[in-house]
Amino acid sequence: MREPCFDNLLKVLRKQVPDRPTLFEFALNDNLVEILAGERFTHGSHEDQPEIFIKAFKKAGFDYASLRGSAFRLDWGEQGAKHSKSLNEKSLIYDTASFEKYTWANPEDYDYSRLERARQFLPDGMKLIVIGPGGVLENVIELTGFDNLCYMLADEPELVEAIFNNVGERLVKYYEICASFDTVGALVSNDDWGFNTGTMLSPADMRKYVFPWHKKIVEVIHKAGKPAILHSCGNLKEVMDDIIYDMGYDAKHSFEDKIFPVEKAYDELAGKIAVLGGIDMDFVARGTPEEIKKRCMAMLEKGMEKGGYALGTGNSVPDFIPVQNFLAIISCAGVDIKL
Amino acid sequence: MSILNEMSEALQKGKKKEVEELVTKAVGEGFTPKQILEEGLLAGMNIIGTRFKANEVYVPEVLVAARAMNAGIALLKPLLVSSGVQPLGTIILGTVEGDLHDIGKNLVKIMMEGKGINVVDLGVDVPADRFIEAAKEHDAKIICASSLLTTTMMKMKEIVDKARAENLSVKIMVGGAPVNEEFAKSIGADMYKDDAASAADYAVTCFQ
Repeated sequence: MREPCFDNLLKVLRKQVPDRPTLFEFALNDNLVEILAGERFTHGSHEDQPEIFIKAFKKAGFDYASLRGSAFRLDWGEQGAKHSKSLNEKSLIYDTASFEKYTWANPEDYDYSRLERARQFLPDGMKLIVIGPGGVLENVIELTGFDNLCYMLADEPELVEAIFNNVGERLVKYYEICASFDTVGALVSNDDWGFNTGTMLSPADMRKYVFPWHKKIVEVIHKAGKPAILHSCGNLKEVMDDIIYDMGYDAKHSFEDKIFPVEKAYDELAGKIAVLGGIDMDFVARGTPEEIKKRCMAMLEKGMEKGGYALGTGNSVPDFIPVQNFLAIISCAGVDIKL
Repeated sequence: MSILNEMSEALQKGKKKEVEELVTKAVGEGFTPKQILEEGLLAGMNIIGTRFKANEVYVPEVLVAARAMNAGIALLKPLLVSSGVQPLGTIILGTVEGDLHDIGKNLVKIMMEGKGINVVDLGVDVPADRFIEAAKEHDAKIICASSLLTTTMMKMKEIVDKARAENLSVKIMVGGAPVNEEFAKSIGADMYKDDAASAADYAVTCFQ
């Protein structure tokens, strides 16, 4: 089993060539984590058992384990049990009265000790990567419903701004707290911004309501001397320069073949921002292990020439990705395991 | 500027109240309901559709324009019915079984209605049989099925297979994040479109 070495990922995030092929995933599904770790989560709050994540990520050849910093999340109301959900499922905030009635959770009130407790389980050279409890735009949409947000943008822009401010300042605080732990090597700001055809709000509204908060998130992460990774799905071509030059993210994660295939993205972005993952989810879900290996090897080769690339899926490893296909990806980075 | 142009412009800016006032005024000035619908409301929505396709406006602007259009149409409806104005035709629309995503589907509905097409919206998580029953019930010319998930897109094939098994004279158009032309061909669908405005443009050609 290869030993984790976070410096490899750090080199990738600094747009350099790592010493060996490096892997990156935003998240692995819990079932796969248990299989890789060889043990089951023993109680409800999986992320309070960082040792299982650490074992699983180490076994699969990652230089880090990813988890949330605490149980902090805004109250989105009751969540459906299905795999799929509508962005219009509900609307907790739809006018000034409902905004004033809403109880805002505060990140300072939560327990982050899992980030310290992880120290005893982290092998030398391995770090944690903290992911967020949904992003700025995602949280606002969860609170308002997408259609309602669109109508409020036209009818009540001041209310919209107040909602974004309440969400944004809490997420900045969350990242500031998480970045202060020295077990944490990097942080992922996860916030889906796009549809297939463009951003969910106009680029002008993204710049007005969403991006200033991301700029602040990146600032607090950088202030702690750590890299900031943006995980954001959808067509972001029109705001890519904002991501790189205005917000100052070190790496971009989440790519889709239909929008911006990772090979093309890497050709355009290498040297400007690190490119992480990108092997299209549909391709990974429906391709054969041989097809997946062929594409991953070609992408790794490309990435090892100029640097700033870590191999992985375009999004994450949910439970509908066949385990053999995930193993095919990591095998390209020299991790051969049998499960 | 003519009152119908004013109406189109107000609609494009999403000014619902202004659209309602202009529709009432246009009726008072003797414009026919068909003229008001086609040269005022649908003309404005058409421009929004074209600008959306060109990434000049985004989903929020489309939704707000559609809200203004629907407010205008609601005022016109009794007049449209009494003067015998018919929609171009009917389509059946829905998100496939197991999938609750609705933003893309709703955009297709807006763009179709903006072309004067009657849309029977079955909602989300719709079983294949329900698409087929609705197509028969409403004598629809097109079934539009949306899917956002790799895990649900194969439900589109069920719709195609059932329609073919019943020899339904209906075209099947598919769309959604993971869907592409190659996939559409592989399941025997008649058409794939990657944005809502193009889907509506194609539907119009089916009714001509």
